[in-house]
Amino acid sequence: MDTFSLDSVELLQYQPNRPPFLMIDHVTKVRPGEFAEGYKNLPVDEWFFPIHFPGNPNMPGALQLEALAQMLTVAITTLPDNKGKVTHAISHEVKFKKEVLPGRKYEIKTKVNSWNRGICKGIGQGFTDGELACEAKMIITIPEILKQFLPNK
Amino acid sequence: MKKNQINKYEEVFKKSFSITKDKLTKLEYNSIPEWDSVGHMTMIANLEETFDIVFEMDDIIDFSSYKTGIELLKKYKINI
Repeated sequence: MDTFSLDSVELLQYQPNRPPFLMIDHVTKVRPGEFAEGYKNLPVDEWFFPIHFPGNPNMPGALQLEALAQMLTVAITTLPDNKGKVTHAISHEVKFKKEVLPGRKYEIKTKVNSWNRGICKGIGQGFTDGELACEAKMIITIPEILKQFLPNK
Repeated sequence: MKKNQINKYEEVFKKSFSITKDKLTKLEYNSIPEWDSVGHMTMIANLEETFDIVFEMDDIIDFSSYKTGIELLKKYKINI
């Protein structure tokens, strides 16, 4: 399957989150079911910098991880028949390596390891200034698909 | 051969749900926190790998207990 990109408007068809909680500005490259990459710009007046923390602004780790999960979602929701479907997180294992500071760009790379019966297992990495800031193993699901396989109990 | 099959079956459940052997026979979907929707798919995937089978969708849905699974596996020529 070919790769393609999604600008900030096209992205909204595949990612149900909205600003200020949408942690992606642009998907530079996606191959549905395999990987998705892109970035989030981090202007100095981004909503979380003044409060996290006053005088020492940096991107919260939870939001770094959220950006990875949102990007992995795009790798799945761009598959045929998944457009617009909601995804839920199941479990994430995350490590934070470097502070992500205002005025930078948070580069996001995610890869799908498996996509089967409504469950996606994948990995994600976030980079700032060319260095690894965050990495995670993630499991997400599309509940609408997963529930078709569950016992009726 | 049959003893080997039951051992393999039990090991899948013990591994998938972090459960001891004495709790297996009465085990059902949603009877323990570990056998939730994700646990269910994990167990199914582990059984498929262990016995080299691919479950049909209806059988995944019908697989609601440890005992039911034993009956379902007969369809795949796995006799426990």
